[in-house]
Amino acid sequence: MNNTATKSGQDIGSVTSRLLETIKGLFRVPEFVMFLVVVILFVIGAIMNPRFVGIENQKILTRDAAILAIAAIGVGFTIITAGIDLSVGSIVGLGGVFAALFVVKMGMPIWLGIILTLAIGALIGTFHGWYVTRFNMHGFLVTLVTLGVARGVLLVVTNATPITGVPDGFKFLGQGYLFFDLIPVPVIICAIVAGLAYYLLRFTYIGRQIYAAGGNIEATRLSGVNVNARIMLCYIISVVCAALVGIIQAARLSLGHPGAGEGFELLAITACILGGLSLMGGQGSVIGILVGSLLIAVLQNEMVMLNINPFWHKIVIGSVLLVAITFDYARRRRRN
Amino acid sequence: MEKQPLLKMERVSKYFPGVQALDSVDFEVYPGEILGFLGENGAGKSTLIKILSGIHAKNEGAIWFDGQQINPQTPHEAQKWGISTIHQELALVPYLTVAENIFLNREPRHILGLVDFKRMNREAEALLRDLGADIPGHKLIQDLNVAAQQMVEIAKAMSHNARLILMDEPTSALSSKEVTALFALMQRLKERDVSVVFVSHRLDEIRQIVDRVIIMRDGRRVGTLPIADATEQKIIRMMVGRDVGLFPKEEAEIGPPVLELRNLAGQNGAKGINLTVRKGEIVGLAGLIGAGRTELVRLICGVDPLAEGEILIDGKQVKIKSPTDAVRYGIGWIPEDRKLHGLILGMDVQENTTMAILPRISNLLGAINQKEAKDISSRYVETLSIVTPGLNQTTRNLSGGNQQKVVLAKWLSTKPKLLIMDEPTRGIDVGAKTEVHGLMSRLAQQGMGILMISSEMPEIIGMSDRVIVMCQGRITGEFDRDNLNQEEIMRCATHFLTVDGETMTEPETISKIEEN
Repeated sequence: MNNTATKSGQDIGSVTSRLLETIKGLFRVPEFVMFLVVVILFVIGAIMNPRFVGIENQKILTRDAAILAIAAIGVGFTIITAGIDLSVGSIVGLGGVFAALFVVKMGMPIWLGIILTLAIGALIGTFHGWYVTRFNMHGFLVTLVTLGVARGVLLVVTNATPITGVPDGFKFLGQGYLFFDLIPVPVIICAIVAGLAYYLLRFTYIGRQIYAAGGNIEATRLSGVNVNARIMLCYIISVVCAALVGIIQAARLSLGHPGAGEGFELLAITACILGGLSLMGGQGSVIGILVGSLLIAVLQNEMVMLNINPFWHKIVIGSVLLVAITFDYARRRRRN
Repeated sequence: MEKQPLLKMERVSKYFPGVQALDSVDFEVYPGEILGFLGENGAGKSTLIKILSGIHAKNEGAIWFDGQQINPQTPHEAQKWGISTIHQELALVPYLTVAENIFLNREPRHILGLVDFKRMNREAEALLRDLGADIPGHKLIQDLNVAAQQMVEIAKAMSHNARLILMDEPTSALSSKEVTALFALMQRLKERDVSVVFVSHRLDEIRQIVDRVIIMRDGRRVGTLPIADATEQKIIRMMVGRDVGLFPKEEAEIGPPVLELRNLAGQNGAKGINLTVRKGEIVGLAGLIGAGRTELVRLICGVDPLAEGEILIDGKQVKIKSPTDAVRYGIGWIPEDRKLHGLILGMDVQENTTMAILPRISNLLGAINQKEAKDISSRYVETLSIVTPGLNQTTRNLSGGNQQKVVLAKWLSTKPKLLIMDEPTRGIDVGAKTEVHGLMSRLAQQGMGILMISSEMPEIIGMSDRVIVMCQGRITGEFDRDNLNQEEIMRCATHFLTVDGETMTEPETISKIEEN
């Protein structure tokens, strides 16, 4: 009797200690820690304003998160190569305006307008990638140029007036719902993009080579990997994703607005870093980027629900970025 | 000698993890003496100089300078004692002027606290003129050539009232005209009773200028010669004289050529290279650091562009434009710096091992066959006895020897015909070293051609079927295994051109600087 008691006591002890180990291990995964933060923010939101958890608000929240996540996944590719893409915001504007231009002004079928817009994005991305690899330059520089130039092109093309009158089929991309009117279309688009990105990065040799190029570009090059092609691909993906976000935003607003996407690069990069991507490259996952995007979307949504003056939103997001990069550097210092 | 030494080191030792860099070394420099300080790469010269200049701390022994015991902990402290060092890599700020560099952090001021540029330039020029150099004080360092920059460094040392100047291979980047100018300057220093320690590999040069030589080998002082007795032959014998034959190079059948280079040249310094590596053969590429051996490999592997010449693999001419091509033609390259060029430190053993063969083990959709990747890497972990807790251990956390084995595994998995190994055993412990050497023998027996760069004479002598010696980017000697001779190899490795054809045509002598 006594014996069994001690024995089961030991069992419980070993089980709890193993459980503790597992939990400790989980806390070392940045994606998990961030997910906990999202959950906490969610609970706070629910307590402060019951409408926050309502179905209508959840539709808005997930749509916001999905749109941000698409752009963040794109930028994430460049960050994994130890680069960056600052052109995201302007490309979002460009994507919306060009799609509206093609569909409304030129009367193209919707699918053709979208494909053409994404192709323009791919061209810009190729240009970025070519500059980065040809001159061994940091992506910061050439994408900063596009950040300015693309916005200027928008203003010239539209003469600073939004393009209105987009057809309903186009609006569906941003405003529609599928599956019993529950799931916003952008969420489905995001799921497809995230799925493809996850497959590419997690399972394929191309993804492995992208991480390797970010970790040590010289060693990767000397291993016979065509690193220039991989880096080029990342910059193309980044701009295409941003252009896609532009199209969705235009569909959502029912117009191509030349000012759309202003400052969106800040949100996308912040989402990546919150999701555990290192600015030094070679690290991070699509799951992390999704969690990071969700965190920002929840934060923004709560600020709206709690009637916080919108002027404060950027300050809050910027501060969150500061916290995230501080953690990122602390983590790396401890490792070295 | 009747004179008291200016500097005296007694039984100084220095340990690095796994290596004894200095073993109870005595060292002395007399006032107004120019001392030649010689030895192979890794003999301990640089370590001793770094101890004197306050960069490394000694582990044992004592240092006296001018009768006082000293123990400089920082370069600044050494400078205060009057010991200045001119390193191979010059320590000047390129965007500041000559005068600003000389008086960095002690600029002469006006009463208002502003820098008195006029006075500073005047004083800098006076210092330089004393040394026989006429360089304007307002010139930017980046606009000067290496020789003039060296003059500025020496002037800076003199402005700190240096009494002992340590020069670590100051002539390696100079043309013969500039060397003459530097020697004239050293003579002036000597007249002012300043002592100079002069490290160089150019034995003919050394004999022109120094009063005495001290020779190091494997961390010990092995000889001292007054210049009158220091023949080139004697110096070389002391530098290399050691037992060899500890290496397990086994007989391998030598087949047809794998790699042939015909008159290869590149912009990176290698020129006129003719070289053959056969199946089953280990060719040792000997030479001093900076002889152009790594540059040659960079040409072969398509990292640096080829200027002229042909590369033949298995007798067929090939164009290698990138490392990707090199891998496709069956060339594997184990680089010298495994952390910089060999490994992705943040990735694990399996990811690193399979890095060069990823497309081959992936399906049509590009997905990596994880099982195959695991099988391949666990096979190499086993055959190379890599000590690691698992295949998913980050390579950052492995020891140097095991990291090197992971790089080896990466290249062996590509099944190369030709394996280029650049300093394959640098910085790894003795046990791992023996394993790597044993492995090289086995690979040769399996018919692989191996081109081994090594700066360690015993490794070259012990492992090579044939030795090719390089100096200044050219091949200066070739030896069969039966005719290997350390002294002859060293003589070829120090076979510097005395009339430098190409550098002479560049009008970059010191006198030229005055004009612009």
